[in-house]
Amino acid sequence: MTTINGSTVRKVVIACDAGMGSSAMLAGQLRRQLGKHSVAVEHTPVDAIPADADVVICHQGLAERARISAPDTIIVPIQVFIGDPAVTRVVKAVQTGGDLDG
Amino acid sequence: MTTSNYTPTVQGTGVKATIQRIGGFLAGMVMPNIGAFIAWGLITALFIPTGWLPNEDFAALVGPMITLLLPVLIGYTGGRLVHGQRGAVVGAVATVGIVVGAEVPMFLGAMIIGPAAAYVVKRIDGLIQDRIRPGFEMLVDNFTAGIVGAGMALLGVWGIGPIVGRLTDIAGSGVDWLVSHHLLGLVSVIVEPAKVLFLNNAINHGVLSPLGVTEAAEAGKSILFMVETNPGPGLGLLLAYFFFGPRSLRPTAPAAMIIQFFGGIHEVYFPYVLMKPRLILAMIAGGAAGVSTFMITGAGLVATPSPGSVFAYFAVTPKGGWFGVVLGIVIAAAVTFAVAALLLGFGRKAGDEADDAAVTPEEQADREQAELAAAQRRSADNKNLAPASRGSGDDTPPQATAKES
Repeated sequence: MTTINGSTVRKVVIACDAGMGSSAMLAGQLRRQLGKHSVAVEHTPVDAIPADADVVICHQGLAERARISAPDTIIVPIQVFIGDPAVTRVVKAVQTGGDLDG
Repeated sequence: MTTSNYTPTVQGTGVKATIQRIGGFLAGMVMPNIGAFIAWGLITALFIPTGWLPNEDFAALVGPMITLLLPVLIGYTGGRLVHGQRGAVVGAVATVGIVVGAEVPMFLGAMIIGPAAAYVVKRIDGLIQDRIRPGFEMLVDNFTAGIVGAGMALLGVWGIGPIVGRLTDIAGSGVDWLVSHHLLGLVSVIVEPAKVLFLNNAINHGVLSPLGVTEAAEAGKSILFMVETNPGPGLGLLLAYFFFGPRSLRPTAPAAMIIQFFGGIHEVYFPYVLMKPRLILAMIAGGAAGVSTFMITGAGLVATPSPGSVFAYFAVTPKGGWFGVVLGIVIAAAVTFAVAALLLGFGRKAGDEADDAAVTPEEQADREQAELAAAQRRSADNKNLAPASRGSGDDTPPQATAKES
């Protein structure tokens, strides 16, 4: 169980199966929300999560693979692609400096 | 609620993750090259003798692209996945060995020999890396890659090419058998449940598309491109959610519809099925109805529509093929909507009817949480989730147009 303070997050990675579809969509939304906090948002295939990711967001159906791919990174599984509370929490933690674990 | 509830724990034996990974590997060889597929599809749809603007000079591109360029790209990408740039180069060289002299586009062969050749180089690199004298690294690196590439290309010509050609024939005749016995709709019984488990790319790009390309190269179009990619079932499901789903989820449905149907990102609807697993029946019914409609009307596409958007469908619809394509999408959406609406009890199923009475948000949250918890127990999940956004009007859909072909 790792914990990170939202204010130290520098890179958020959204992962999906191919890294081209739903992750690109979510990354576009998050980039708009996190851009002014100088947080980089990337989208990648779930099997190729970059090592410098601070937080990984992916659907819970892919969380198992994300865990294998990024064993020490905080993984935030989501359930829906539109307005998932977990995503809102990540944004809030970055904006207000709260803690995230996963 | 603390975020610690969100820690994913690996459950069971990870069979699902393993299948996803293998499938993801197959799809990972194809999907980065979709742009090239679309280029080929557009040139084919426009310039072949039966196309929109027949042109002999331009049509000369069609053959070499499908038999040489696209398999080599797949082999290259497969090699890169295994062993970086060196693997990619050797994978591409080896792939040429199987495409030369082959009768059919060697997609499946490229998916095998590209990674295999890269793996051989990877092993050899591992063996000799500590034994090279200083100053000879580049010489040894280049020649091991060259020798392995040449050897694998020869092996491809002699051994792997003919075997894969045979396998492609067998798979193709299996599909023909299903079509001639009007049973292709049964494939949806496998495809639709696998889709929502995030095997959508694996099935489409790993299995159906390579077979479809072979068929399209011969017949000018293939129905296999349409089995997994049909945007109709997802639209029908989301419509049913919009009218009859749990109230808290209804506001999210329109944005999801735009993303799914026009943007072609089918993943958006998967959670709606996973929340109420019985809805998989609606997806199967709609998928099968769509495939059967395509089959009866003789519909087909010239290339894979990726992403599975209605715009991508129209871009790769052959001349004169509109009727069956549109009808199949509409029927799939209608059937899915009807079955899903029925399964959702038209919004009046136990637990939903109280929505119409005055309830406090907390009560509603409790009820939905129970509903979600039940759904999660069914999917062997151990997280408790708050209901999804209650119409937090900030989920602006992304510009679908950015992803159109």
